Amino acid sequence: MTVLVGILAVAWLLPLWLVVVTAMKSTPEYFHDASQWSLPEDPLQLFANVRDAWFTSGMGAGFMASLLYGVVAGGLAILFASLGAYSITRLRIRWPFFWFVLVFSGTIFPFQMYLIPLFKLYQDTGLYDTQLGMILFYTAIALPFCLFVMRGYFATIPRELQEAARIDGCSDFGIFWRIILPLSWSPIAVLFLFQFTWIWNDLLFGLVLSTSDGVRPITPSLAGLQGQFAHSGPPLVLAAALLATLPTIMLFLLLGRYMMRGLTLTAAGRAGSE
Amino acid sequence: MASDAKPRKANAGKATAPEGTEVAAEASRPFGRLAAAAAPYLYVTPMVLLVGVFLLFPAADTIWLSLTKWNGIYPPTFIGFDNYLNLRTDPAFITACLNTVYWIAGLMLLQVALGLALAVLLNTSPLAELYKRILYLPAAISGAAIGVIWYAIFNNQLGILNAALRFVGLGDLAQAWLTTPPLNTFSMIVAAVWQGLGPTIILFLVGLQTIPRDPIEAAQTDGANAWQVFRYVTLPLLRPITVVVVGINLINSFKVFDIIWTMTQGGPYRSSETLAVTMYRESFVSFQFGYGASVAMVLTVVAFAVAVFYIRAMFQRLEVQ
Repeated sequence: MTVLVGILAVAWLLPLWLVVVTAMKSTPEYFHDASQWSLPEDPLQLFANVRDAWFTSGMGAGFMASLLYGVVAGGLAILFASLGAYSITRLRIRWPFFWFVLVFSGTIFPFQMYLIPLFKLYQDTGLYDTQLGMILFYTAIALPFCLFVMRGYFATIPRELQEAARIDGCSDFGIFWRIILPLSWSPIAVLFLFQFTWIWNDLLFGLVLSTSDGVRPITPSLAGLQGQFAHSGPPLVLAAALLATLPTIMLFLLLGRYMMRGLTLTAAGRAGSE
Repeated sequence: MASDAKPRKANAGKATAPEGTEVAAEASRPFGRLAAAAAPYLYVTPMVLLVGVFLLFPAADTIWLSLTKWNGIYPPTFIGFDNYLNLRTDPAFITACLNTVYWIAGLMLLQVALGLALAVLLNTSPLAELYKRILYLPAAISGAAIGVIWYAIFNNQLGILNAALRFVGLGDLAQAWLTTPPLNTFSMIVAAVWQGLGPTIILFLVGLQTIPRDPIEAAQTDGANAWQVFRYVTLPLLRPITVVVVGINLINSFKVFDIIWTMTQGGPYRSSETLAVTMYRESFVSFQFGYGASVAMVLTVVAFAVAVFYIRAMFQRLEVQ
């Protein structure tokens, strides 16, 4: 049985191995090779291929744009969700549960329900194909799950802390900014990791809401390059796939434990919403 | 705790006495009182606005647009339920429904069943941590990149798989993996499982770790074999997490888009589309936005119905137990 699992693990790494080996070959070398399994003549060709990929089909611009969206929209979603969660759990707001359900209901629809009216809205308001438009949408789509997690976490922070701070003359916002947020570092880190990865990997909304280099995220650029697979040559396309995968794989190798914890959080979120 | 809270409250009352007068002074000015009462709503305003404008309003608007004919240039015109009636005889839509069923069955069999089996094996393996990492690695890759990678493996002329088959003398087994329906859907399900198996295993492992050892050991002492222990002890105790994993996989089957879009774009001749791909193609390739909206509605209603049906069935079974 253990041998079977071992074989499976090797089989699981095989596609990645083939991608890396292929991305290390030059295009003529790839086409004249006896087999795709042969080792590359010059592994350093990888850097030349990645550089070529960077300047093809808007991949480089897409890389920078996705980085911007992941960091800014991920951060804003956590900030707005935390503000909302603080008001819902700690301030005198009417119908706290209503506000929570209203925002959380943003997770129950399949994405296909958003696409056409968003496209229309973006055309009408001039948000179509702008970085601002992309950031606003990614912030909105990341918000409900962040609210779910932050609301759950704030509920575990003892109220005594808040009352003590109020006696010391701290304002509502001061309590949020200087006491509650610094205590919530660990769910914020997990959420950020998770939302950054989600935004980085999104293809659908990038395709629908943007079109030009510099606005279009990296995944639609990669899908566009894929369309010229035979023309550009497999080594270049796979080098581009590696480039598009680099940040999330790096995050996984460095912070994989948190990512897996984020996954169980998602499962809890789904269980809560269903 | 309760007895502790009371004197503290009394204290708080005393300490805020000077502040209290301030509040009274503020209250005499209507604006100050209003500002104090409105403040908590300011905190929820950004998230409510963003979610309302970019998620909830579009979702509601799709319902209306599905009753219209709209090419994106002239204003939408109301046509009642014509889009839905046309769906019934649209061969591309019927193929998409069938393929969505293939995706559900494929993910259940290859991802959920295999994932559960592997999680049980890994649960006692000394190398579990390493295997977990390896199997999870593809989950860190975007669906688009997964599609690109597996296109390089499966495509007819330049594909690595066919080249490998010919290399070891099994050239007869070489297939047009991505251009023969329904083989192309099955090939893409393999790519999706490569991405999704790791997370499924992790969720099952989390569940397995919450199962107490005692009932398992008791069953073993009573002479149950490994299969019996799994079937009659582990599996029933694992039910809560199984419900979640099956639910997530059901929903995911309806949403598959990225892998299909990068591997076949739903082709050839629309043979490998799922509902999500049909919705995208009708809207953003053919510019039949009203028709696309009706596909989105069908997808949503069916996904909700399946989810509700599934959750009710699970609750009934829990009650019987």
